[in-house]
This record gives sequence, structure tokens and C-alpha cells, in this order.
Amino acid sequence: MSRARRAGQWLVDRVEDRGVWRHVAIYAASVLLLLLLWEVASVVIRALKGGREYLPNPIIAIREMVRLGPLLFTNFWISAWRLVLAILIAFATGYPLGLLVGHERRLDELISPIIYIVYPIPQVAFILMLFLIFGIGHPVKVAIVAIALFFQLLVSARGAAKQISLEHITSVLSAGASRWQVYRHVILPATLPSILTSLRVSIGLGMAFLYIAETAGAIDPVRGGLGSFIKNSAYNTGAQFAGILAMALLGFCLYIIIDVVERIVCRWTYTARRSS
Amino acid sequence: MIVLRDVVVDYGRGTRAVRAVDRVTLDVPRGQSVALIGPSGCGKSTLLFAVAGLIRPAAGEIRIADEAVEGPRRDTALILQNAGLLPWKTVWQNANLSLFLGKEYPKATAEAVLEELGLSDVKNRYPSELSEGMKRRVGIARALSTSPQVMLMDEPLASLDTLTKERIQDLFLKLWARHAFSFVLVTHDIEEAAFLGQRIVVLSARPASVKAVVDNPTMGGLDYREAPTFRDVVLRLRAELERET
Repeated sequence: MSRARRAGQWLVDRVEDRGVWRHVAIYAASVLLLLLLWEVASVVIRALKGGREYLPNPIIAIREMVRLGPLLFTNFWISAWRLVLAILIAFATGYPLGLLVGHERRLDELISPIIYIVYPIPQVAFILMLFLIFGIGHPVKVAIVAIALFFQLLVSARGAAKQISLEHITSVLSAGASRWQVYRHVILPATLPSILTSLRVSIGLGMAFLYIAETAGAIDPVRGGLGSFIKNSAYNTGAQFAGILAMALLGFCLYIIIDVVERIVCRWTYTARRSS
Repeated sequence: MIVLRDVVVDYGRGTRAVRAVDRVTLDVPRGQSVALIGPSGCGKSTLLFAVAGLIRPAAGEIRIADEAVEGPRRDTALILQNAGLLPWKTVWQNANLSLFLGKEYPKATAEAVLEELGLSDVKNRYPSELSEGMKRRVGIARALSTSPQVMLMDEPLASLDTLTKERIQDLFLKLWARHAFSFVLVTHDIEEAAFLGQRIVVLSARPASVKAVVDNPTMGGLDYREAPTFRDVVLRLRAELERET
């Protein structure tokens, strides 16, 4: 069976055994709990601050979300594709390079000091230079996020590649594997689970950097992305929280996508959990 | 079939090199079996890896089928201590790994090999879903998939319970009779060496060198464990291992 067909079969099975509906119910309960906590916080803040609406309650925020629908939606898509593109660029460069550095000892000796020096620098420190290089349009926003996540994924991939059991490598070498096949059959699959975890962390980090990139320089509430939208709504807390909700929704969607991808490409880790 | 002449293997390079194997000479005729036994960490696995073409000896020569060993060979299979299965591949993919790496399709006999080893029902499972004994059998299936002339085994049954171990030893004996490969078994289990080795080479503590060779011509029967000669061989091996050099 092809991988795609297996994945399809997996989805059908899940729907049939009601696993999906159980998940949906638990998620719904969890969201309700969050809204409840939000409402409580909103009431407490209003009471402490003499009736001022610093934290609007969830109903106001959701109503604003609906009212600003099309505008919010445009900004949502702009932020979404910037973030996704940045993640893809960082993944496609940081992951393979991290594996190489982690597995090839000579390369590690040469590259690792560079990583240790550059990684701790908050990449936004280069923001002015990046604006000068990329201009003020889309590319600079994508670049800032991609650079930050590149280092994140590079460091994780390097660490994961160093953890690989020598036994697995000996095993494929004795079976006649070439250098490339060692990567393809051992290093890549062995590091996938931890790189997907790192990707989850990257979503949060990427959101933060995207917000900074979208609010630095000129604010464009129509096509500036959610960051720009939120900052522009500084005097309308309802609209502001509508923007924040949209950001949360964006992150949530990306988490779900990574979960589904993990279920497909790391199927073996789930069977391991099931049988232990 | 396998010829070793004054083989020396070192760990590390230059001034920090540590000698692991010291001038070992050994012959394994076609279709015959040799067990290498010695104290833990003596260098017997290192010697086996050199025969498998994974480590280059510092001196001496290793030949298989009249050819110098330059790297892993197609006619030689290596079975590792924990079977060396890849957790992300199914039993079927693991068992036919050598073939997939060589861009070949599993032979018609692949199904038969799994059947022979009692693995047909679990071929779509992942290793984490198998018992320890089953994992070792997948390791054996993988070695058999290329129909090798030479089988090299690095403590393939270590840390199994006695009955599971003996059952797999019996199975291995049958496979050896049917597939007629030559094999070298590295073990620290005296009874295993006596049960599976036609010749048993006792190695010294590190660096490994040949301390004694014990012939064991009457092995080969499944009831050999009860034979008086089996007991004699076990006692001799024990005495050789305990003897100070």
C-alpha cells in the first residue's frame, strides 16, 4: 500500500472508531474552559481597574471578529502564508544542514563554533539591516522569521543527529548502505520525531518574530498582516483581541497540521506507545 | 572460505591507538562453523567487524572466497547483538533491508524465509511490537535474505531467557543444515559456543589473541545438549577461559 493510501485508510479508521469525535469533544471542552478563564480574568481586571475595559470579554472579541471579518481574514491569510513560507524555508535549509553537522564530525568541528556564536544573538537585532536589504514589503517579514527558525531547527537537528545509535548505522552499513542511504534510512527517520517537536516550538517562536516584523516600520492595517492589524487597533481593545484570537487560530491550525504529518511519517512511534 | 592471517586491529590512530586484536590466524572452511569465545571486551566483536569489512585491520590479511575483504560484501551477512533492527521499518522492510538498499526486489524465497522463521503473521508490524525472541529471528531473516555464503554473528542471542535462546539455537542449526553457509559466531556463552561451534576458538583478554582451539566434531544434533561429549567440551572451554596466560 502506498503511504498516501495508508494515511487515507488511517483517517477513515479513526472516524469509524469514533476516535476523532472523542478528540473533537475534548478540544471543544478545552476551548470552553479557556473562554471561561478569559471571562473570569476580564471581570477581575474590570473590578480592579474601576470598570475600565482593558481586557474585553470573549464575547466582545468574537463579535469584533465577525464584524471585521473580511479585513481580518485578509490579514490572517497574509500572516499565515508569511509564517508557513518562513517555516518551510527554515525547515528545508536548517534540517539537512543540522543533520550533516551532527553526523559528520569534521564539519561539526568547523561549523559548531559558528553556531554557538550566532545562535544566541536575537535575530531581530539585525532587523534594520534586513529592512535595508529586503525593503519594506513581504520579503523582509519572511526573512526575519526564516532566519530565526533556521537556527532553531539547525540546533535541534544537530542535537538529534548526535543521539543516533551507532548500532543502527552499523546495521545498515553492514547491509551495504552507501553514505546517502545511511542518511535516507537511518539519520532522517531517526531524527524526524524530535524535529517535529522542534517545529512545534518554532510555531510559537515564529509567531513572535512575525509580530515584531509586522509591527516594525510602517503599519498597514489592510494588508500588513495580523501584527499590523493588532497594533493598529491599539485604541479598540475589542478589535485588538479579535486580531489576537486570529493569531491563536493560526497557531492552532499549524499545530494540527504538524500532528497529522507526525501521525503519517512517524507511525512507528505510535505503535511503540500502543504496545508498551 | 574465510581466511585470517596475523590480523591486527587497532582502535584509534597514531599515538592514541589501542590494540584490540593481536595477530589472529584462523581458517573457516566452506560450510563449517567456528565459535569465538572470550571475556567481555576482549576484542572479539572488533575482530568480527573486521571480517565484515566494517573496520580495516592495521596489519595482516582477511580473505573471503579468495578475495581480500575491502568493505561489506554481498555474500557476507552480519547479525548484530540486538538484531540491529530499524524501529521505523516494518518486519518485512527490516528483513529485506539489504535487498532494498541494493535496489532489488525481495526474492520469491523472502516469504518462505519469514515463514520458516515463524514471522509471516507479523511482517507488517514494527519491531517495538515484537518480543525479544521475535526481534532476533527478524535479524536472522535479514541475514538470510541475500542467501549469503558467510554468516557473521555478534552475540546474536545475548540477554534472552534460556528457553527462548535454546529454541533459536535449534532453529539456527536447522537453517545451517538447509542453507549450507559458513559461519563465525562471537559469544561469551560457553554452552552456546559448544552447541553451535564445530571448532571453538578461545580468545585471551584484550588484546584478543588465540589462546586455545577446541575441536567439537560431534556437534550438529538437536539433542547434542544431552550428550556426554557436549559436557566435556563445556568443561574444557571453562578450563581454558579460566586459565591464566
